[in-house]
Amino acid sequence: MDFTVDKETAERLARIRQLGATQIRPLGIEADRLGRPVPPDHDYYKLLLKMGLGRTRWSPDPKPSASAEERGGPGNSRATIHLAEEQAYWDRGVASSSPGPGLGEPPVLSMGTEDQKRRFLGPFVEPEKPRWGSFAMTEPGAGSDVAAIKASCVKDGDAWVLNGEKSFAANASRADWIVVWATTDPSLGRAGHRAFVVEKGTSGLGNFKIEKKMGIKGYESTSFTLQDCRVPAANLLGGEGHYGARAGFKGAMKTFNATRPLIASNAVGIGRAALDEALAFAREHERLHDVRVRDRLERIARKLRMARLLTLKAAWLADHEQPNMLEASMCKALAPAVAYEAASLGMELLGAVGGRGDHLIEKLFRDVKAMDIVEGTGQIQRIVMARQLVNLPNERGA
Amino acid sequence: MFDWSIPDELALIVETTRELGRAHLTPHVREAEAARGVAQEIAARFAETGLAALELPAALDGAELGAVARALVNEELGAADPGAALALDPLGPALYAVLEAGGEGAVREHLLPLLAKPGARALLVSAHDARLETRGDRLRGLVPWVPSDRADLLVYVTDDEVVLAREGIAAKSLRGAGLRAAGASELTLDAPICARFLDGEAVGEALARSRIYYASLLVGVLRQAAETSRSYAMSRVAFGRPIAHHQSLAFLIADMRTAVDGARALVQEAAWHLDDGRPAEALAAAAFAEAIEASTFVGPNGIQILGGHGFMQDYPVEKHMREARALGLLLGGFDAAREDAGESLCAAGAPVALSLGER
Repeated sequence: MDFTVDKETAERLARIRQLGATQIRPLGIEADRLGRPVPPDHDYYKLLLKMGLGRTRWSPDPKPSASAEERGGPGNSRATIHLAEEQAYWDRGVASSSPGPGLGEPPVLSMGTEDQKRRFLGPFVEPEKPRWGSFAMTEPGAGSDVAAIKASCVKDGDAWVLNGEKSFAANASRADWIVVWATTDPSLGRAGHRAFVVEKGTSGLGNFKIEKKMGIKGYESTSFTLQDCRVPAANLLGGEGHYGARAGFKGAMKTFNATRPLIASNAVGIGRAALDEALAFAREHERLHDVRVRDRLERIARKLRMARLLTLKAAWLADHEQPNMLEASMCKALAPAVAYEAASLGMELLGAVGGRGDHLIEKLFRDVKAMDIVEGTGQIQRIVMARQLVNLPNERGA
Repeated sequence: MFDWSIPDELALIVETTRELGRAHLTPHVREAEAARGVAQEIAARFAETGLAALELPAALDGAELGAVARALVNEELGAADPGAALALDPLGPALYAVLEAGGEGAVREHLLPLLAKPGARALLVSAHDARLETRGDRLRGLVPWVPSDRADLLVYVTDDEVVLAREGIAAKSLRGAGLRAAGASELTLDAPICARFLDGEAVGEALARSRIYYASLLVGVLRQAAETSRSYAMSRVAFGRPIAHHQSLAFLIADMRTAVDGARALVQEAAWHLDDGRPAEALAAAAFAEAIEASTFVGPNGIQILGGHGFMQDYPVEKHMREARALGLLLGGFDAAREDAGESLCAAGAPVALSLGER
């Protein structure tokens, strides 16, 4: 048993703190004030690249037969959790705008052929300039119910033709490619799902619209359309043979299982920021002697710590290749609600100052709500948990 | 690096405790409640395991295992029968105060004799639990409730002092709200003080360990309450399907599991900090507060899921709710724990929230 961070992670956290105070938070506040994401040509991204960030986890020299011990021990998504929390502490929006393959990376890694990994992740090994990847599942009519996507894909010779609309895809307009989910036939449900890597400039990919959001404005959440968009058959992730037995949908779900603890850690980071600000405000205004104030701050600190521990537990299980679906959904259900409570308490302590709309806590209060929505709402997480705990049937009977 | 695994040797102790609890405590919870104690043959079997010496120093023939071991073992005992768990531990959290403040010599003198005395109990009482006065060489006053029918040694802790009394303690039997298997009594003291130690730091450490002791019992009770009601909800059919498959209950069951796992996480983290020699008083206080808060959610909802059956004593969930509530009253309960955790949080300079320990 161990509840500390290792030296290497601690050093990386210290670097993020430095970057956070000087770059991430000021950029986040500026993006919030201007109502637009950090532009893709901003020097900040070049700085990240110089620091060795913005890269892929994929290696062009894989050793697939190596055991976990030969690879240097179990996986280390726990370190990723710590880092994601710290980044979100400074600004979750700006953190999400970081270059790299982003949410598009897990499906390419888990479903892609070796050739596809080389083609799409290769440029992220030592990028000469900031590059982004993106992931597009959500549609105007299919949010939590991802099985209900309508974007269509039809095989036509050596290509697939895609038509449909996608919503809220992070960094999509600046991405080199987007992993787009479509269906061969909506009546097939999940069995019809296919994942394509749609490259920038592909004919029919367009109408990018950067959405106006209530918070986390540092990164773009983008809608776009696919109009007779011809995608080479070589860009179907995993090839056609991959899509037996609902493998497509399972691929998407695997992506979400890996990212739910990350969102939970983001929420803990935002909650920590709100707690620190609330504490500082209460101290400055001599409110800490008030038992009501102190009790509520104590509760927030306790719940945030609890959420962090459950998040790390989900990551620890994943690192040891143990099932973690229950724990991944548990932390994702818990952390955003706790973080919202932290920000809301912060507003309460600010009182009229919170109403002005120019305090960091007010921004955090708007930012944090998204954490309970992205990657599956709190309600969806409880459904996933209930399937594990009580075999809650799928409404579609699947 | 964060790691939740436990050593094989400790895992074996935990597994043995779980099996003992399932085989010998859980089947007899109602008998133990009625008898205000554990049957002699069961007590003898537990004495053989050496669990009472789990945290005793090796120099005193103990296993010298730490707070993590205690947290893991107590969760199992709490899941089986928390009242019996108290009855079966002659030293209980009193050990921490005597050991921290008085050292091994004090333990040898005041506590070890109790191990040879069948049914003996040393009791820890904090200034939150009772208004006792030390006047000269005597300890006087009233303790409204202790989960025991006897007090072979009373260990009273204030903010900075540990006071021991052995004689002059009158125990008046009470019905007890919960934990009846441990007994219940009101204590009236006009007792000669047999030892006293002025050591605020020792009190803080002892209080932290004591909170982990009770919090881990609480986690065990809550685990059992959540599991009993989950299992029932899978088999009970209403409106054409198991009640667990009605979303309102499915979500409730999910949230109950989260509450239990979350409280356990805080308890084990605090216990690990204690064992690693890191500051843990605030963590232990927060862990106890969380376990108590979880009990007010899991306890009543365990009954709620069973509906009318839950209210009847044919099922254990009503006992779970009572036991959990009673455990959460000890050492000043929720308010005292929050006060200690909150004071620590507010005393530190910002930014302080959840700073990570580093290797």
